[in-house]
Amino acid sequence: MLTVILQTVAAAVAFSVIGIVVGLFLLGIDRRISARMQARIGPILIQPFYDIRKLFSKDNIVPENAIPSIFHAAPIVALASSIIVLLYLPIGSMMPILGGYGDLILVMYLLAVPSLAMVAGGFASGSPYATVGSQREMVSMIAYELPLASAVIAIAWLLYSSGISDPFTLQAIVENPVWTLVGPIGFIGLVVLMLTLAWVTPAELSKIPFDSPEAETELAGGLLVEYSGKNLGLFTVAQGVKTLVMGGLAVAIFFPWNISPLLGLSSYAALAVDAVFFFLKVVLLMIISVTAIRTGLARFRITHVVTIFWVYLGLAGLLGLSLIILDSVVMGVL
Amino acid sequence: MSDEMKKKPYVVPIGPIHPALKEPVQFLFEMEGEVVKKADFAPGQTHRGIEWMGMRRNPVQIVHLTDRICGICGVTHSLSFARAVEQIVDIEVPARADYIRVIIAELERIQSHLLWAGVAAHELGFDTLFYLAWRVREDSLDVIENITGNRINYGLVQIGGVRRDITPEQHPVIHKCLDGYRDLLGKMLNLFLHDTTISIRCKDTGKLSFEEALHLCTVGPTARASGVVKDVRVDYPYAAYGDLDITPILPSAYGGEINGDVYDRIVVRLLEIEQSIGIIETCLKEMPEGGIIWEPKLPKLLAACKKAHGEAIGRHEAPRGECTHYVAMDGNEAPAMWKVKASSYSNLHSWIPMLEGEQLADVPIIVASIDPCLSCTDRVAVVRGNSSDLLTKEDLHRLSVEKTRRIQGC
Amino acid sequence: MALPMIREIFTQLFRTPATNQFPARHLPKSVTEFLKKVGSGEARMIPPVATPPAFRGKIQYDRDGCIGCKLCLKVCPAHAIEFIPETKRVRIYVASCIFCGQCNDICPKHVLTMSDEFLLATEDRFAENQIVE
Repeated sequence: MLTVILQTVAAAVAFSVIGIVVGLFLLGIDRRISARMQARIGPILIQPFYDIRKLFSKDNIVPENAIPSIFHAAPIVALASSIIVLLYLPIGSMMPILGGYGDLILVMYLLAVPSLAMVAGGFASGSPYATVGSQREMVSMIAYELPLASAVIAIAWLLYSSGISDPFTLQAIVENPVWTLVGPIGFIGLVVLMLTLAWVTPAELSKIPFDSPEAETELAGGLLVEYSGKNLGLFTVAQGVKTLVMGGLAVAIFFPWNISPLLGLSSYAALAVDAVFFFLKVVLLMIISVTAIRTGLARFRITHVVTIFWVYLGLAGLLGLSLIILDSVVMGVL
Repeated sequence: MSDEMKKKPYVVPIGPIHPALKEPVQFLFEMEGEVVKKADFAPGQTHRGIEWMGMRRNPVQIVHLTDRICGICGVTHSLSFARAVEQIVDIEVPARADYIRVIIAELERIQSHLLWAGVAAHELGFDTLFYLAWRVREDSLDVIENITGNRINYGLVQIGGVRRDITPEQHPVIHKCLDGYRDLLGKMLNLFLHDTTISIRCKDTGKLSFEEALHLCTVGPTARASGVVKDVRVDYPYAAYGDLDITPILPSAYGGEINGDVYDRIVVRLLEIEQSIGIIETCLKEMPEGGIIWEPKLPKLLAACKKAHGEAIGRHEAPRGECTHYVAMDGNEAPAMWKVKASSYSNLHSWIPMLEGEQLADVPIIVASIDPCLSCTDRVAVVRGNSSDLLTKEDLHRLSVEKTRRIQGC
Repeated sequence: MALPMIREIFTQLFRTPATNQFPARHLPKSVTEFLKKVGSGEARMIPPVATPPAFRGKIQYDRDGCIGCKLCLKVCPAHAIEFIPETKRVRIYVASCIFCGQCNDICPKHVLTMSDEFLLATEDRFAENQIVE
């Protein structure tokens, strides 16, 4: 028992470190690709590491009106919760470290924690900009929760109706690629759900066009306006980890295939190759659903964010769900 | 929480220094949720005393000082000032100089509108478009640099003409740039006007009705976007504009109705780029031969200015609207009075009706939509004073009475 | 929903960027060392953007041709030119100069010209290269 716990802890620590490093690399790739799309050269890939080194060498400035305890706790909570979600994700052919202790529903709730921490930190800053930013972040959280939930429910229902045990665990989802479980109608449903999730990702990461909580031009950074130094560094690291998590989640649900069986590899070589392949999939997804969208669109108003998520994407999510149900009904009849 | 506490609006200050503002001005917004209930602004944060400097210099010196009033309208102020002095001294500007003045003024309009388009895109959170607009703006700056020798402070206009001629070798350079813009404009119109994310942010945002635009005496593209047909180039032709066939551009030129919103202001400015391209091409073709300056010997020009008596107003349709310079000369080297009224001064007050009732998220784009140029505008700053930095008529009267008494020694 | 920019950014992704690069790829430990290396051909410097034919850069003064007529002082908008009565010559403060070139126009002996030198930024406005006499 003790060895298991020790192993888990050691793996978790190793994973956290790797997750942070990979997350920061993702931010670097995002910035570089975005720069190229804007005809700029852009920073080097390891620029986020330089940024973090600089931020960690600086002092925290706490505003006079702030509540220091919450103000300081928020970045730590944000980073910790992002890392915990990472530990629930399968990386390539490696099964999640905490896989046995929670399922997709828990992941969904954990995904909300970093945003909540930012909201708390924003309110605790005692600045009107941060307050407006926090209000907007809460509204957009409520908004994107509906399409996200409908996508997750649809997939769990699909696994359940296909007779797979533990339909809510990520392990089950990875072992049974969703595309193999559906007929043509369900396939369309899954595509709709995938596109829905692709639009939820930038909102979850507070990127343009859904970055109204941070809106540089009107709120000067919104939630994060009063953060500086180490705290801002922690938020940046959390942002990197969150990017990895969102990419990893999409990969796990929609693109869980591994490359090692094709190459005929096994044991550690397979794990390594699959991890690299997983990272490539995450990068590709991020470029499409984060970098391209944030580079090619203008910022939405918060009212637009609500309309888009509740009306258009909410309906899209429900449509996907209904198509999948319809598919299994039709298949059952046949 | 009591009802009163709940209803109390909270105040969001924006400025004097804020990412939404490219130049310092202070806004105070009383907010209810995300909606602006009451807006107020306080300019005067970037006053540099340039008129004071001018009134201690001779006109030939001032004409290059005016270049520095604004970084974007380099030729606007020097042209307005030169025109005022030319009227007082009774100078006839050679025809070729008039055409060169028009060419440079229109090139300036192109670069200023592209700069504005980039800023507007940035305010909307659309940085890619901002990079694109500023990248293509470089071409016009290169041509301006080729003609005048400098990218920003051109130093081209001199009293009585211009300082540099446009040589036949420069024609292909200018034509190449203009052709490039002609090709590009379709793309810019598509990217700005057919992008859903831009149109949902800009349509029906920051509306200024025809009546309000008229009552607040707005000028330039801000007025034209609300349907007010007003353009100094057409209404009071000067330089070579009288020889040209120009019609003021209204948003209806792009089809559709005139709403006076931010979207219309984008339409007007983008179409004015096209108009300017046409004007420059016509001018290059029809430019007469001849001298470019009334008096090439500066000492003679200085002597003529020193002898002059009188007052005059010079005006020019700047990229942002009408810009006027009032100059009075009384036989001294320096003018007795020099007053600058930049175009943004007329447009600033349209902020209030535009902003009230709008969302906080739209404040940056509405503020930017009139293309405010505050370093042009700020002519007065009250640095002393008690609690308020505003002086009413009564205050001014009291202060002048006090000063008179002080001088009289009683 | 029309998003014309999406197509634009993906085509741009495969084109060369428009950025004007810094002279050195990375900030050198010592700028003078770097310039020395460039001089000896060890390092490569990305050349600055070319100036146009009639560019107005740092002012040049031919001291021997000057007759001390003080006309340039009359037209300098920035009062950047000082007359030294002892030598009957002028001294130009480049830090104050606004590069309008009017002194060149008015000079009867044409001893004042504008060069194409523009790398003039410094922390000391009275440094040797900031004063022309």
